[in-house]
Amino acid sequence: MYKKSRARYFFLLPGVFWILTFTLFPLIFSLYLSFTNANMRNFTRATWNFVGFENYASIGSDLRVGETVVTSVYLTVGSLLVTLILGTFMAWLFNHDIPGLRIFRSILTMPLFAAPIALGFMGLILFNETSGSINSIIRGLGGTGVRWMTDSWSARTAVLILDAWQWTPFVFVIILAAMQSIPEELYEAARLDTGSGWAVFRSITFPLIAPALGTVALLRLVETFKILDIPFSMLGGGPGSATQTYSYYVYLTGLRSFNMGYASSLAYILVIIAIIISTIYFWRVRARFE
Amino acid sequence: MATLNKEAAAQPVRAVQIGRSRLGRILLWVAVVVAIVWVLYPFVWAVITSFKTQREALEPTIIPFLQFQPSMENWSAELGLGARETTLALGNSITISIGATTLATVLGTLTGYALARFRYGIGNRNIVSWVLSQRFLPPVATLIPFFLVLQRLQLIDTVPGLILVNTTFTLPFAILIMRDFFADFPDEIEEAALVDGANPLQIFLRVALPLATPAITAAAIICFAFAWNEYLFASVIAPKDAKPYTFLVASTSTVRGVHFGYLATRMLIAITLPVVLSLFVQRYIVRGLSLGAVKG
Repeated sequence: MYKKSRARYFFLLPGVFWILTFTLFPLIFSLYLSFTNANMRNFTRATWNFVGFENYASIGSDLRVGETVVTSVYLTVGSLLVTLILGTFMAWLFNHDIPGLRIFRSILTMPLFAAPIALGFMGLILFNETSGSINSIIRGLGGTGVRWMTDSWSARTAVLILDAWQWTPFVFVIILAAMQSIPEELYEAARLDTGSGWAVFRSITFPLIAPALGTVALLRLVETFKILDIPFSMLGGGPGSATQTYSYYVYLTGLRSFNMGYASSLAYILVIIAIIISTIYFWRVRARFE
Repeated sequence: MATLNKEAAAQPVRAVQIGRSRLGRILLWVAVVVAIVWVLYPFVWAVITSFKTQREALEPTIIPFLQFQPSMENWSAELGLGARETTLALGNSITISIGATTLATVLGTLTGYALARFRYGIGNRNIVSWVLSQRFLPPVATLIPFFLVLQRLQLIDTVPGLILVNTTFTLPFAILIMRDFFADFPDEIEEAALVDGANPLQIFLRVALPLATPAITAAAIICFAFAWNEYLFASVIAPKDAKPYTFLVASTSTVRGVHFGYLATRMLIAITLPVVLSLFVQRYIVRGLSLGAVKG
């Protein structure tokens, strides 16, 4: 009776209506724009004509797309690997009997809430080739300074490190939560069988945190592919266009060159990828929401 | 795991391993310290740099007074009298974040309550998945339509325009956190109120809402942090009068060249509020940020 009360629509609809209006409508509008030559060359009002699949056809011959995809894939895969490995290792460390775990956990999650656009400046300071402290440390250890700002792959790596630094705590807290939900009896039984911590990790811990790892990996995959703020503020997409990610390129095309129709078609490729990944994601976790 | 280790240590079988385990504890603590340093180092470095003049900022010195003379130059340039641009941008950031947080929290609490307490024909988990899938959408895909629509509505470069944008992006978090809270909270008190003849709205306002204060606070803080950190839409929609602090920060290097101390100061001002607030929502971080996939 209560569960089916008519009042249930009063509670649900405002939020649903908001999302329909401000997410679904823009998405449909942007799908429409992707089939037009929308532009704002006079800088005041956009005009458009229907052009069919022309935008999508020209993506294939756009040389800039290839380079930005390479950058995005490098950042995404690299950051994903680093955050998953470091985050799991940190979770394993803090899953030992450590006094003050709560305080440590709070400290370790601080980077998650720092604005990425500001972290780009943190990168600018830390990775500066002559006075940055990272090159100072490398030189102090006897190495030669890395050309973080002027070499393409080093610059991409600097962005990768910064992104991984921000998101390792995310993997850490989630995997730690997963590890802490493993029943203690399992460990006790395993420890009687084998003395090696690595064997316990491989045969007990890892299989049980694997679902959480998969979930985190999917989430990070989508999030990292959207990355734009850090390369924007740290290097302005440079050197040259080395740290321009795919999202960055969509942004430049649509809102700096005002080639909005073409930018919408580029963005829609991203939407389709996001829909595929989110379908997999919610197919995995939807039982939780019953 | 705490109890496990204590039990293990108490068992006689483990005695042979104590020597190895002591070395293990030392290595463990070393690794913990390394992890903490790895996370805190950039923050500490930024704080140090913010108290340096441009010339000193080019030297890799760490200890104030001994190695360099700390200076308030950057902080007073940014926050002192006459820093009108900063005051304006910080004011905008606060108005936008509070506006979006309020809207998202109100809508999120209603919808979250709805999804936890009532049954819908479409299937509750389908609705939840749909709401959360909004977080997967690439922002650049909605950027152009938002820009064009806000332009038609004459909301470009206005605070309401950015409130609208940020409400949209933070709403899924608020819905999720509130849904999870109510779903885990026994509804017996509400059932009792129902028996007493209260209607659903009265039950929500007088019984459920007061109990949900901690979760509402957490949802609000997380929404606030995300709205405060938003940059992409701000750069397109509010580049002048309504610009928030993130946008001001992003335009630093072009205005002053690379002035490290000043950059560090602005960076710290931009990140402090959300980072400090996050310390109060530890319980909700795991669930909120994993979109409900993992219980924290």
